[in-house]
Amino acid sequence: MTTLLLPPARLLLRLLERLWLVAVLAAGWWFVSADSTSVYFPALSAIWDALVSGITSGTIRTDVTYSLTNIVLGLVLATIVGTALGILIGELERLRQVLDPFLQFVRSVPQSALIPIVIGALGIGQAPKIYMIAFACVWPVLLNTIDGVRAIAPEVRDMAKAYQIPHSLRLRRMVLPAAMPQIMAGVRVSLAVGVVVMVVSEIFSATVGIGHFINTAGSVFDISAAWAGTLVVGALGYLLSLAFIVVEKAMLGWYFKSAGASSGGATTRTRGKATK
Amino acid sequence: MTTAEHLDLLDERRARHPLAVKGLSKSYGEGSTAVRVLEDLDVRVEPNEIVCIVGPSGVGKTTLLRCLAGLLAPTTGAVMFGPTTMTGPILEVGVVFQDYSRSLLPWMRTRENVSFPLQGKGMRKAARRALADQCLNAVGLPDAGRKYPWQLSGGMQQRAAIARALAYQSEVLLMDEPFASVDAQTRFDLEDLVLHLRKRLGISVVVVTHDIDEAVYLADRVVVLSGHPAHVVDVVEVPFGQDRDQIQTKAEPAFTEARARILGRIRR
Ligand SMILES: Nc1ncnc2c1ncn2[C@@H]1O[C@H](COP(=O)(O)OP(=O)(O)OP(=O)(O)O)[C@@H](O)[C@H]1O
Ligand SMILES: [Mg+2]
Repeated sequence: MTTLLLPPARLLLRLLERLWLVAVLAAGWWFVSADSTSVYFPALSAIWDALVSGITSGTIRTDVTYSLTNIVLGLVLATIVGTALGILIGELERLRQVLDPFLQFVRSVPQSALIPIVIGALGIGQAPKIYMIAFACVWPVLLNTIDGVRAIAPEVRDMAKAYQIPHSLRLRRMVLPAAMPQIMAGVRVSLAVGVVVMVVSEIFSATVGIGHFINTAGSVFDISAAWAGTLVVGALGYLLSLAFIVVEKAMLGWYFKSAGASSGGATTRTRGKATK
Repeated sequence: MTTAEHLDLLDERRARHPLAVKGLSKSYGEGSTAVRVLEDLDVRVEPNEIVCIVGPSGVGKTTLLRCLAGLLAPTTGAVMFGPTTMTGPILEVGVVFQDYSRSLLPWMRTRENVSFPLQGKGMRKAARRALADQCLNAVGLPDAGRKYPWQLSGGMQQRAAIARALAYQSEVLLMDEPFASVDAQTRFDLEDLVLHLRKRLGISVVVVTHDIDEAVYLADRVVVLSGHPAHVVDVVEVPFGQDRDQIQTKAEPAFTEARARILGRIRR
């Protein structure tokens, strides 16, 4: 992330630029909710107190560590499996044609609808949750990887043929980097999916985790704590997407820079969704 | 192999074998929907010769070049390199694609792009690097190795693509409309580069082009394709030898004559 390299003053400015709206909304919420007597919409000050006590004397820290571990491992697993399978399917046209109806089907199924079933089938414990997250996250990565591989320009394929590039080298140095912009776009989608699945999987059957925290708070009508947990999930999602941007910049430096250059390395037929 | 051997390699690369198509026909599609594009072609590229292929758009020039490269299998007939029948791409034949901005990989520096095919051949890193630098030098890009392709101009990218073909030990360079998308001055420079490389390295070159002036300026022989399916309607010998000059050569009566003859053939 370039902001990390900026001098402190400009860094501060950037941060303010990003956070002012959040601050305004939070302040608005704080004052509007100050006199709230509603059980379900407690005052923000009460939520804040619940958050602080959750962190200092409660389980939030353990919960966050647990949840974070799950989602990171789940995402990494999904990315590896999705990319590997995606390259295989994208490269083997026959295989793709055979699988096409199935892939089209998967494309339109909402992944989170499967959570209760899969949790039921896999049972409680940490590993099933990680698999669940990976299972939900693998599809966007897989589908994007297939698209990315198939979008490789015929000129590039001709080049590999004419110069007799061996398979392994071709996959590693040509196909994978060519599909990388699409793969990263897939991971970005998976990230959002993963956060939802992470929380929901902990609501269904868990003894720890931020989803569990929210669920327990809700079941004992500590609505302020439930809200606090929800805010933590939001913050977690935000931090994860920041981390994602750092990873993406590192993996795709050439892509962002060449898109800025006039001749922009058009090795694939442009990526569907450009992320910043 | 050592680095020193590779230094010699570039200078001592002489085309030793002719590249030829014999009775080549090519159809796209199968059965009743098959379309014959090339019909019974005989084209022969002698060692150290430059042959240009011209013809109207869509006649089948690219198809012929892809057959010569071993990228397309002929429907009938054969592609021969020396005494052997080609069944796929071979080391001795390098291809420079028309769309250089796509054929150079944007995630590799120019030097890596040039040496990428060498990596496939299992050459060691130091040797690859030395040969790549030497080829970049030979095409007039001594400082581009560390840059990415998208940091280079169109003409420079095309030079890099030529360097890649040279590095690959090719004795024969196949070029499909190589200079179609660069400005006039760059185009002249690149044409002279091709003439220079032919003379210095002793390689053979096949250039597909739309531009008849370019064909006559570069070629020892111009092969004119026409018709559906395409066949060779004329082969024009160009008598200018290995040293040519953009202004003088193009002012010679023989130049105008060859040009008019080819134009007449294509128009008809
Ligand atoms: N993969 C393909 N499948 C079917 N038909 C093809 C294919 N490639 C080319 N053709 C057809 O073959 C004919 C010759 O195409 P080719 O690209 O060789 O022409 P060309 O002489 O290179 O044209 P241009 O000067 O426009 O580049 C065209 O009519 C084209 O439509
Ligand atoms: Mg063509």
